[in-house]
Amino acid sequence: MELLPQALVDGIMLGAIYIIIAIAFSLVYGVMHVIDFAVGEWIMLGAFGGYYLFQWTRIEPLLLLPAVFVVFAAIGYPLQPLIHRVLSGRRGNPLLMGLVFTFGLSLMFRGLAQTFFGFYSLSIPSRFSNGSFFFQNGGLSVTISSVRLTGLVYALVITGILNYLLKHTDFGLGVRALAQNRDAAGLMGVNNKRTSAYVYAIYVGISAMTGVLIGMILSLSAKMGPDYTTFAFFVVVLAGMGYLAGVPAAAFLLGIIQSFFLIYLDPGYTLLAVFVLLYTILLVSPRGLFGKGV
Amino acid sequence: MKDRRLSGHLLVFAAMLLIPAVVHDTFLLRVFTEAVMWIGLAVTFDVLAGYTGYLNFGHSAFFGIGAYITAILMVRAGWHFAPAAALGGAAAGLGALIAGFPTLRLRGAYFAIATWALARAIQQGVLMMDITGGPDGMRLPALLSPGFFYYIMLGVVGVTFFAYWFLLERAPFGLKLKAVREDEQGAEALGLNPTKLKIQAFVLSAVPTGIIGGVFAYWVTFIDPASTLGDLVSDQALVMVVFGGMGTLTGPVIGAVLIFTFKTVFWAYLSDYEVLYLIILGGVIAASVVFLPDGVLGVLPQRRKGVEDHA
Repeated sequence: MELLPQALVDGIMLGAIYIIIAIAFSLVYGVMHVIDFAVGEWIMLGAFGGYYLFQWTRIEPLLLLPAVFVVFAAIGYPLQPLIHRVLSGRRGNPLLMGLVFTFGLSLMFRGLAQTFFGFYSLSIPSRFSNGSFFFQNGGLSVTISSVRLTGLVYALVITGILNYLLKHTDFGLGVRALAQNRDAAGLMGVNNKRTSAYVYAIYVGISAMTGVLIGMILSLSAKMGPDYTTFAFFVVVLAGMGYLAGVPAAAFLLGIIQSFFLIYLDPGYTLLAVFVLLYTILLVSPRGLFGKGV
Repeated sequence: MKDRRLSGHLLVFAAMLLIPAVVHDTFLLRVFTEAVMWIGLAVTFDVLAGYTGYLNFGHSAFFGIGAYITAILMVRAGWHFAPAAALGGAAAGLGALIAGFPTLRLRGAYFAIATWALARAIQQGVLMMDITGGPDGMRLPALLSPGFFYYIMLGVVGVTFFAYWFLLERAPFGLKLKAVREDEQGAEALGLNPTKLKIQAFVLSAVPTGIIGGVFAYWVTFIDPASTLGDLVSDQALVMVVFGGMGTLTGPVIGAVLIFTFKTVFWAYLSDYEVLYLIILGGVIAASVVFLPDGVLGVLPQRRKGVEDHA
């Protein structure tokens, strides 16, 4: 029982990171109507990008985040026309073809990573890795490691920036218009292709940055991709596809599930629980916990 | 036209029956057996993906269920191989029936994610169970007869192929499935029952896959969750189908033969770089979706005309 507050706090800190992944993922789905199977691989590649950038420069990894973002946004940007080509055109089932395409990308990235980065589990050392805050109240005590707190702050900052971008800029207006009605937005002068390319670039960049954070808080390996793809799907499906307001609750739930299995149960069963819950939610309410998805 | 195609299929099948008479090299015969197995897995995958329009990212679950049921019955209950493999196929079919009823209500990407989650849940579950040997896998009694396994595999896949050919290309069932793929509500308005059709297709795809899994288990004599329930089984089937040509029976066969030949040559000469295979596999899927929307089949001139006739 004395571990309960610890499990909750750990879960919420971890969940904050998943919020970021899920928001970027939802954005791409809303604008481009593609479910990106490669999301976990972007996180993995980003984590390694951060790792090697740190090895090279020896700068505090948190300060490297913008660099990681720029590099990966530049990688993601030229991919969008390919996805656009797959989704339009005379193919029978564009949505499935988009899925197959990103799936192919994810296999490729995983293979590349295993070739060049090996199979070992690594972690990104940060100045914040060692420090922690300790709170005690009666019999209950909570330890918050500063690196996890950094993750929470990062999540808040990115959410704030995205919120500003979407609600207060012309670009964001265009994005929201595209998500609502692509044809009408096009008639109003929103450049579909360019906006989609920017959205995809931002999404890849954010996923990669989040990968660096995950590398700092937990660990990174060339095989981590599919797990994080699962987590992204989990959060997005539970929240309801395209329903951003549902994301935090779903993300915190995932974080708490993970920390509870780690502290109270066998962590080997975490994935099993996540898959079973994801499957059950899809069956019971495909539109998410709140029934507000697309 | 169609009868000429059938005689073509029969001719190829007859030629394949003769392979063990010509090929005496055990290694080569193993390669041929595995090629036949992948043809089977690609064709069964295509029933749902190509004909019905539902991407089943959990195809490996049927394969694994068949393999594990066969292994458990043979090792723990001392059954003979044939009834064990048949029961493996039945178990996969039953699984498809039970899982299909709720899962097939989901459309498009939701279905893909749900089957993926279910297959990975099954894999995680098998890893944790005692009866399956967990991560250590299971060892089956060995039978050293490459010819026997070639004929069994060819028999199962051949029967599957011709049953599919009749059901999907000759009987109205194939047209009904395509109607569901093109417009589910429209099909319903015409008096079809999409839910029933989809479940039938799901079971039709699952049963042979389970039997193939059972044959695979007895053939390689060792199975573990990664080799039978892992993503690679579904992934390769998907590549073969997309590369060969979705929604046809010949396409997956061509795709399976090409991809498998490539894989074998690759492993023979470049086995030091095994992960390169993943890169190439992924690259082939992504590139064929972009550049070959109808697969290799769509590039052949007279075939393209045939595809347009259907459309």
